[in-house]
Amino acid sequence: MTFETALRLTEILLGWAILQASLEHLSLPHMPRMLFALRATLAVILILGLNSAFTLPLLLLISILLLHHFQGPYNGGADKMGFLILTCLTLARLAPPAWAELALAYLAAQLILSYFISGQIKIMNPEWRTGRALSDVFAYSAYPVSESLRALSHKPGLTFTASWVVMLFELIFPLAFFHATALYLALIIAAFFHLSNACFFGLNRFFWTWLAAYPALIWLQARLIGA
Amino acid sequence: MLQILTDTLRLTLPALIPSWRFFKAVQPSPRIEWRSPDPDEHWQAFRPRPTHLSPIVILRRMVWNPRWNEALFMVSCSERLTAEVTDHSTAEILKRLRQDAPPKATTLQFRLKFIDRIDGTLLEQITFTSGIYPARHKGRDDDI
Repeated sequence: MTFETALRLTEILLGWAILQASLEHLSLPHMPRMLFALRATLAVILILGLNSAFTLPLLLLISILLLHHFQGPYNGGADKMGFLILTCLTLARLAPPAWAELALAYLAAQLILSYFISGQIKIMNPEWRTGRALSDVFAYSAYPVSESLRALSHKPGLTFTASWVVMLFELIFPLAFFHATALYLALIIAAFFHLSNACFFGLNRFFWTWLAAYPALIWLQARLIGA
Repeated sequence: MLQILTDTLRLTLPALIPSWRFFKAVQPSPRIEWRSPDPDEHWQAFRPRPTHLSPIVILRRMVWNPRWNEALFMVSCSERLTAEVTDHSTAEILKRLRQDAPPKATTLQFRLKFIDRIDGTLLEQITFTSGIYPARHKGRDDDI
């Protein structure tokens, strides 16, 4: 994947993630409607690729204003990743070529770290190794989207197996970087992981936002290693 | 000006240099409960989750999930409020409570209940109980 293709794909995917979240905000009362209406409009312009050098800094500015408005991210990790992608994309569009590549490479590195560190901190915790932590996520955390899902906390075999599958996948994810096919496969599995999180825990914005970082990693793999 | 710059750095640095420590451990989990104290009503859960969701609804929520994402923001506000009482978190919770308040309510109060596993048993602890506020509000949206 070329650098320009990676940038365009990232713009389209991030534009969709921003548009989706902005429309959700616009449907709710007590939101800064002007900011979200402008954000949604800019997201459409970004998707269409009309004037990225103008659109991206404005979207970045609105993101900073929203961080102030909500005194932090509205949607935790999804908003943080969205801000990171937006910053790297803005630098990649506006900075000189060498710095532009570094910006997209930084995003790719952070994507790898997002999986690896999550796996590393889980496997160091005995609660995760026994499956108890995942069981507790279903038992009493605020995340399960329905009460019926809490019953999964009473299936220790399932939570134990799921915990180890997730931890091992997250830990070996960086190895996929060394082969193009392995990377595509790992990204498809990762997308299904985010999809399951969206279904079980309602984290739909994580799904769309993380997907937007994938082209950067595919480009960096081709740039440094190739097939 | 310096304060705005400092706040901006405080808010953006965790995104630019993320820690990625998702679910290191399962933390105590907050629930918001509310009541309308004028007739001394009982505490009730704020926006309780549904008993069951059909696969169609779950799929639809992939692209349209505003109420749930708002609920997750309420979780963040509850955690922030427990760490440090601020007008901002109080106001954000009150806005949603007022929106859902029954027409007959004249005042509102909320409390935060945290659920945690301690020595193998799930325990509930009330960490914060708000003052009593008018159920209708005519001031600025961010005022409490």
